[in-house]
Amino acid sequence: MNDETMRILSAAIGLAAVFATSTAAADTPTIRLFPTTVVEDLRQTGNVARDMETGLQEVIGKLDQQQRLYVESKCEGAENDPGCQRLARQIGASYLEMLTIMEERLPDMEHTVNNTRRSLERGLRNELGKKMTPWTLQETLVGGSAGNAANKPSPTLRGRSGMRLSERFKQYYELVATSGSRGDQSLAVLASDIYLDMQETGVLIERTRQEIARATLMEQLNQSFGIITPEMIEVVGGVKTILFGDEQGEALVAGPPPGSIEPAYRSPLER
Amino acid sequence: MKQTRPYALRLSGLLAAFALLGGCATPQPDCASPQSRNLDTAIDQVQAALSAGCEAYYDRYFDDLLTTAEGDPKPENRRAFSEFLLWSTDRGLLSKRQAEHYYNRYFNVKFMSLRSDYNNCAHACPNKQKVLFDMERELSDKERGLLKVTEDSNAYYRADRLFKEVELVLEATCKACAAR
Repeated sequence: MNDETMRILSAAIGLAAVFATSTAAADTPTIRLFPTTVVEDLRQTGNVARDMETGLQEVIGKLDQQQRLYVESKCEGAENDPGCQRLARQIGASYLEMLTIMEERLPDMEHTVNNTRRSLERGLRNELGKKMTPWTLQETLVGGSAGNAANKPSPTLRGRSGMRLSERFKQYYELVATSGSRGDQSLAVLASDIYLDMQETGVLIERTRQEIARATLMEQLNQSFGIITPEMIEVVGGVKTILFGDEQGEALVAGPPPGSIEPAYRSPLER
Repeated sequence: MKQTRPYALRLSGLLAAFALLGGCATPQPDCASPQSRNLDTAIDQVQAALSAGCEAYYDRYFDDLLTTAEGDPKPENRRAFSEFLLWSTDRGLLSKRQAEHYYNRYFNVKFMSLRSDYNNCAHACPNKQKVLFDMERELSDKERGLLKVTEDSNAYYRADRLFKEVELVLEATCKACAAR
């Protein structure tokens, strides 16, 4: 065998190896659920949420302080007292300020949330809805070997209501941005999780915007009388919960008890 | 009078044939449940009964064997059931597909209820409630097979998680399929 033949042979072997690798890669199911637009939308939504939180933090802090002063001054039941009326107007003004900030920021938020939702919706419909049967979806979720999958950490599931809004999107962004290192199984769960959350957030934002318009009008009327309505206190509480999270976090789902990791018997009947 | 003898002969011949047939009739097989609390012995008893004509009671026998195995749960039971099912296909009691169905329903993480040739938008979404209901029933069979018979808690908890994941992913996918 001369040098020329050796070169051709090694080139052929190299080509065959490349072909085999690409075929193996092609055999691995790859689902495209997170195009770059989704990653960018998530980052932007996180930024908008952070800006809104920063803007609201101050005014909510002020509201808390004013409410405390109102209670400590024993103004409840003494609404006709001029000092209490002045305090109530100040609280009302802060409340209006909070509503205005939200009104300014929410359209941006709504826009980015809807963009993310639409991109994910397309991906889910095409990649999981139309290209997969229930069985292939299950195989994607299990990921190669069902036995090994038992030892992998649980994928993210819903229930982040107790989390700060910007933190929630930051987490989503980080999860999606590093999704290359994850298997398709957690991607499908993650995409579904974010999509359902975006849908709920979109509805919530829409309702909040409608409510803000109504509450602003009501408060403008109340300003002339210096009244604190229970609704005001409730709305402020609600906004705090949505933006900054509540103290009672969701209980974590217990993981499986530690088990033996030795390879289990595999039946020829196993599918 | 001449015709009486052959007639009597014919009659007695017929009676003798009936008597012979009666004597050859197969006795009713004893299709009682296996008595042994030992899985291997119970499998032997079931195999004998199935070979003796009790194949109509296959489902009940399989259930009996699961109950016996629950009394002595261990990972090796998985192999015993697999071998019993393979024996059943060899004997023609089950098709290969039926044997796979039995095995995977009880001893595999994956859900046989999700077998379908059509895509999720077309099949799973319009029947989502039924699919999830069937999966839930299968999960209780997996609890029996994986947890109570083979003590494979890892696999059972993975199946339980898989059920929740499928529920979540189907909810999102079906909403996406419906959104137009």
